[in-house]
Amino acid sequence: MNALFSQLVMLGSSGMLLTALIVLWRKSVPSYISAYRWQAWLLAAVTATVAYFAGDRQLFAVAAALVALKGFAIPALLRTMQQRFGAQPQIKPYVNTETSLCVAGLLVMFAYVLARPWMAVTHLPTRGGLPLAMALLFVSLFIIVSRRKAITQVIGFLMLENAIALLAVVGTYGVPLLVEVGVFLDALMGFLVMQIFVYHIHETFDTIDVEQLTHLRH
Amino acid sequence: MSRFLALVVQTLVAVALAPALTGFIRWLKARLQGRRGAPPWQPYFEIRKLFGKEAVVSHTASWIFTATPFVVFSTAVVVASLVPLVVVPSGPFVAGDLFAAVYLLLLGTFFLALAGLDTGSPFGGMGASREMTVVALTEPTVALSIVALALNAGSTSFSQIVAHTLAEPSAALGSEHLLAFAALFIVTLAETGRLPVDNPSTHLELTMIHEAMVLEYSGPYLALVEWGAALKLLIFLALAANLFVPWGIALSFSPVALLIGLVSLIVKLAVLSAAVAVLETRVAKLRLFRVPELLSASFVLALLAVMSTFLAR
Repeated sequence: MNALFSQLVMLGSSGMLLTALIVLWRKSVPSYISAYRWQAWLLAAVTATVAYFAGDRQLFAVAAALVALKGFAIPALLRTMQQRFGAQPQIKPYVNTETSLCVAGLLVMFAYVLARPWMAVTHLPTRGGLPLAMALLFVSLFIIVSRRKAITQVIGFLMLENAIALLAVVGTYGVPLLVEVGVFLDALMGFLVMQIFVYHIHETFDTIDVEQLTHLRH
Repeated sequence: MSRFLALVVQTLVAVALAPALTGFIRWLKARLQGRRGAPPWQPYFEIRKLFGKEAVVSHTASWIFTATPFVVFSTAVVVASLVPLVVVPSGPFVAGDLFAAVYLLLLGTFFLALAGLDTGSPFGGMGASREMTVVALTEPTVALSIVALALNAGSTSFSQIVAHTLAEPSAALGSEHLLAFAALFIVTLAETGRLPVDNPSTHLELTMIHEAMVLEYSGPYLALVEWGAALKLLIFLALAANLFVPWGIALSFSPVALLIGLVSLIVKLAVLSAAVAVLETRVAKLRLFRVPELLSASFVLALLAVMSTFLAR
């Protein structure tokens, strides 16, 4: 029973990590949005798995909220954002795709090494997900610093938030519902603020390339 | 003695089935694209026709050119006798493991690249250099996915890997298993010249890879090269199927088990080749300079597979 539990958690966490790698690999924003949606669904699935095996009813509510907010609402908002900008000229990231993927591999290795002492002291069946959640954290940070499109950076931030949620679920079987609701609201507010900010960048500079922000305007 | 006989029969079955597999993928692709398509057994007619034709060899060609088709075909046949298809090869007369199988197939590729260079035609040289680029990039992925599988089972021999997965069914759902499978599948597409990397249905296109190397071949030589390529595709798909989803494979040499093994092999190959056909209908060929991106993605997958077995214990 426990073997199946840890196997499923590992599977879900690896899937979440893969969706972050898709953002490094693909070049179009719609594919990033669907990667984010997949990641949110997987996070909800991991949460529901932990809820089922740990017998925690509150976590089911968290999983449902995750599906509603991150599985439907935020991807829909992202899509309207993407449609408002229309077709953008291709903007090359600071780091090219091959290097990004290799760096991501190194970051994952780093996360594994970093999580070793933690995994040695904990005896939770979900501990296999810990290094993967840390890896997701690092890879999302890398997405934020290595991409130039504002919308990609926003997606990187949202993935970072997912990574922290995953870390909470696999590390401590989730935080209390009240805290979780607060985090959801924060994430949503943060996203809305960033959306307004990106719209302003677009209106002022006619592009969502953040490189433009470093130049003085005429 | 019956073991030996079963292995010989298994190898012959693989050699006989290989053109049908290629034909099946072509037929399925044609149906998916709304064409009627040639029947799945069309490659048999092609091979028979090619064997009846005269071989034309360039004056500048050396012995490498004539030897290559035999090397390509015979390495594929030898590998077919090593890998688990219907039954897991075991016993004193089976010497090879996963490493031997993969690198014997690479030997054929190496000779094919040499033959492409040998006649001195511009297309052949281009094809050879491209093929070597792709192979060099798939190399780390192949080695890493082998290591991922071997780390789980504690051995690189096929029988051990299959036995390990059969003994622990939940391991087949493990992330390292699925990641290594995904990496090996991408490598399969690259090594056998399938679509995102190379277009198998083209014969004169500036971006071709495999076809550019074999452009100078004709008659029986071409038949051997094509048959060897089809066998290589079958071996890669069968490896992907039987190493990751080994259920159904014959463990004993009783006729019933062998029959079940054969049927399950055909079903698995049909599922995988349908996946290849659907994929080839959906995606366009990648630009040559974007191929490294795909292959580095597969490398990262394999790396993750190794890490989740090696560092997580």
